[in-house]
Amino acid sequence: MTHLLTRLRHDVDLEAGRLPAYLFSDPDVYERELQAIFARCWQCVGHTSEVPEPGDYVTRYLGTDPIIVVRSEDGAVRVFLNVCRHRGMRICRSDLGNAAHFRCPYHGWTYRNDGQLTGVPYQQLAYGDTLDRDTIQLRQARVTEYAGLIFATWDDTACPLDDYLGDARWYLDFYVRRAEMEVMGPPHRWEIRSNWKIPAENFASDAYHTGHLHASISRLGLVPSARFAESGYHVHAGNGHGVGLGLPSDENVFEPGMLAEFERRLSREQFDVLRQIKNMHCTIFPNLSFLISSARLGGKLISHTNMKVWLPKGPNHMEVLSWGLVEKAAPADWKERSAQHYVLTFGPSGIFDQDDSETWIDITRNAATPAARELEFYYVQGLGRQRAVEFVGPGEVYASKYSENNARQFYRRWLQLMANAD
Amino acid sequence: MPIDQAALALWFESVSWLDNEAQLLDAGQFDQWLSLLTEDIRYVVPVRVTRERGGGPDVHLGAPHFQDDLGTLRMRVERLKTEFAWAEDPPSRTRRFVTNVRPRSLEKPDVAVQSNLLLYRSRGDDPRPELISAERHDVLRRTSDGLRLSRREVILDQATLPLRNLALML
Repeated sequence: MTHLLTRLRHDVDLEAGRLPAYLFSDPDVYERELQAIFARCWQCVGHTSEVPEPGDYVTRYLGTDPIIVVRSEDGAVRVFLNVCRHRGMRICRSDLGNAAHFRCPYHGWTYRNDGQLTGVPYQQLAYGDTLDRDTIQLRQARVTEYAGLIFATWDDTACPLDDYLGDARWYLDFYVRRAEMEVMGPPHRWEIRSNWKIPAENFASDAYHTGHLHASISRLGLVPSARFAESGYHVHAGNGHGVGLGLPSDENVFEPGMLAEFERRLSREQFDVLRQIKNMHCTIFPNLSFLISSARLGGKLISHTNMKVWLPKGPNHMEVLSWGLVEKAAPADWKERSAQHYVLTFGPSGIFDQDDSETWIDITRNAATPAARELEFYYVQGLGRQRAVEFVGPGEVYASKYSENNARQFYRRWLQLMANAD
Repeated sequence: MPIDQAALALWFESVSWLDNEAQLLDAGQFDQWLSLLTEDIRYVVPVRVTRERGGGPDVHLGAPHFQDDLGTLRMRVERLKTEFAWAEDPPSRTRRFVTNVRPRSLEKPDVAVQSNLLLYRSRGDDPRPELISAERHDVLRRTSDGLRLSRREVILDQATLPLRNLALML
């Protein structure tokens, strides 16, 4: 481990904008990430609209650990390790549902939806007086909500979520606090042979790829030109959280009937910025990404809000969870067109997303081969650039979205955590 | 048991139509494929989830994998003709296996056809194929040009898709 850290400290040179390729494939790096990042950081495990009623649950993963996200009878959303305390069987094996109790299939140990063990079959016969049910609960993660997002962490010493998100909240509000939002449905889930950091970095930092990788989209006339991704601001919002704001837009890309609610919920500065947005991407460190994207579909302007979690499944493997979010009070027609726009562009069949996954897979493959993994990649875009002063939002702001500062900051934060895990 | 000649004819017609469609898609003849669709086609692939038996629907349409009409399907095909459709350029080698074809006549001159689909996809020099298994619920409309697809719903057999993307027609 010391050897790995020595190597990382030497090879990851963010001042010079250099990153070694093996970061995206090395099994030791990955194992360290599970401890240093996924066992420590706040991570989003879902949206409160997925569990509106007491007993509603979804099963997910926190890092690589299976969890149950459930609204208990007292109304609080809790997150439990989906592992029976008796022998470790998965106690809930459904993606979603409603349950007052979870009963383990193996021996029938039964837990209330607040995690308390309440039932042990044949308890007197099997245990006599040796088992005190009241002392046994499912392992529980810390949970804090932010504007409908359910965050959890295994780390009891982690700073409060508000401090973890910090200035990123100002930007996160555009996606989740501009109105009461709801998920369009259960998330799309698919497995890709890609390292999880590549998409996380992409959404934090990479407007530059849009003009080329996604040039097919401008050829189709969905967006005006291949340069559409450049104009706007590139913001490091602290703690490795990166945002790219595409603006100005010629017209409001949101449902017009929702603007009054946006104005009520956002600050004046946020609302002014929101009205100019044409697109907006971000990553909340480590693996939560968002996108607002707009286009002309069938002659009509439409936009959607997309939320993605990149789940680590191995050094060369991840699972994508992808949700469409929409204003709960939006008209049915808007909801339907927004879902269509999301599915057409950023779901597994999405004409943006499918080209992205193609590159992430090949990068991951290459990063594992002997000659390529020793390469250093160039993360130099925007080095030495002056910060913009005219923008109202917080953080380290640069005019023009063409910058790799957010990627450098993402890996700066990453390295800090990797080095501090002991 | 006597053979129901009308049912046999309908079955033969349906199988021929679906086999021809699969052939066009596997051969990358997407414009010809588009010409087999009606103007008002609805092409939907819901999300599948794991539920307990009797726990409720395991198919969700809120944000499906495809929610397409002729305009968006045409867009997907036009995209493949740009030089920037990396997900399918170079193209995957695909083979669609269509089986268990179950047609039934509807009131109008339409035919409702259910079929099973196994789609094999091989990409680049990766020897590991991707496989998609699904049940398709189609409506074929009888027009002056012959049968045309007016509705397709594809029920996937996977909740977590074991594939890089769905840059393919199902």
